[in-house]
Amino acid sequence: MTCRRVHSLIPLYAGDDLRPRLAWAVRAHVDACPGCREELEGFRAAMAGVKTAAKAEGVPDWNEGKWNAVMARVAAEARGAGSVPGSVGMRVFRPRWAAATALGAVLGLVVLSLLFRGPAPQPERAPAGSGMVIASGDSRQDKIAITMISPDSGLQVVWFLDKNFDYEGEQE
Amino acid sequence: MRMNETEKELVAMVLSGRTEAFEPLVRPYRGPLLALACRLTRNREEALEVTQEALLRAFRSLARYDVSRSFKNWLFQIAANEARDRTRKRTREKAAFDDAVHGASAAADPEAGRERQELRSDIMRCLAVLSPREREVFVLRDLEELDIKETARALRCSSVSVRVNLSSARRKLRQAIRDNFPHLEEGR
Repeated sequence: MTCRRVHSLIPLYAGDDLRPRLAWAVRAHVDACPGCREELEGFRAAMAGVKTAAKAEGVPDWNEGKWNAVMARVAAEARGAGSVPGSVGMRVFRPRWAAATALGAVLGLVVLSLLFRGPAPQPERAPAGSGMVIASGDSRQDKIAITMISPDSGLQVVWFLDKNFDYEGEQE
Repeated sequence: MRMNETEKELVAMVLSGRTEAFEPLVRPYRGPLLALACRLTRNREEALEVTQEALLRAFRSLARYDVSRSFKNWLFQIAANEARDRTRKRTREKAAFDDAVHGASAAADPEAGRERQELRSDIMRCLAVLSPREREVFVLRDLEELDIKETARALRCSSVSVRVNLSSARRKLRQAIRDNFPHLEEGR
């Protein structure tokens, strides 16, 4: 390994951040090369100096009031969203594709509902011979009346169904 | 460093709805988080905002926290991302402002107030010579002592990228110390 190559690797070697094979090669070179050894020592002294100065600088601490305010915000957010982090209603980061998928699903449902809505309900006549007329109401109304008329006796029976097609009663 | 049992219990409590457990969970890291944010933003007020937002984000996304990871490193990752977002936003705003006024009076410069609030210690001056990415890598690896893999994970980049930026950062710092802060060099 050349001195130039070793110089390029010394910043990582000084912090034990080289892969083992490369580190072994640099170590072997540095042991035998006074110039590279001096360069390495310079790096180590600089790094140690920065770390010492950073520790001496001390860790800044919070003003208790600000800390309590942040914790109050957390508590308020939890109350507003059913208390469990990540639950529905909380502002949790979601990937953009999740929003796109949801939008696509909604659009798909709209298209499907338009395609399969079918024609507006019309009074239907039963097949010839049965003599029954089926009069169905507007699907948007709450009650549906179906009238059946016998061509022989003239008897009329009206069935009333609610909007869920549950039988509500009949009238002759 | 993996998560300890107490932290696991506190996380479980928060996730079960006992949000009061969040404060004891994050309290041990409030100083280190603020220190990290100070070093990344070099501005105390901005660092406080970054830390507050990081804590809120941590709370919101606790359900997605992988308990096999160090909780501290996970918090550091959130804070580093928040600091980066803010730095980018500030850079964009500054660029937009510069475009708008075409070098108008510096007295109106929004950065001027920020500069007055900047932290002026030797460490902060040293860190000023680094690019934002180099600073992130150096602070996490050398000052917060995360390993290369964890640093890469925190910054969502590859180990190779971390090594490249770390090497460059150490080289620049070595030069800055030699030129401007020789008193920082230990044992020489």
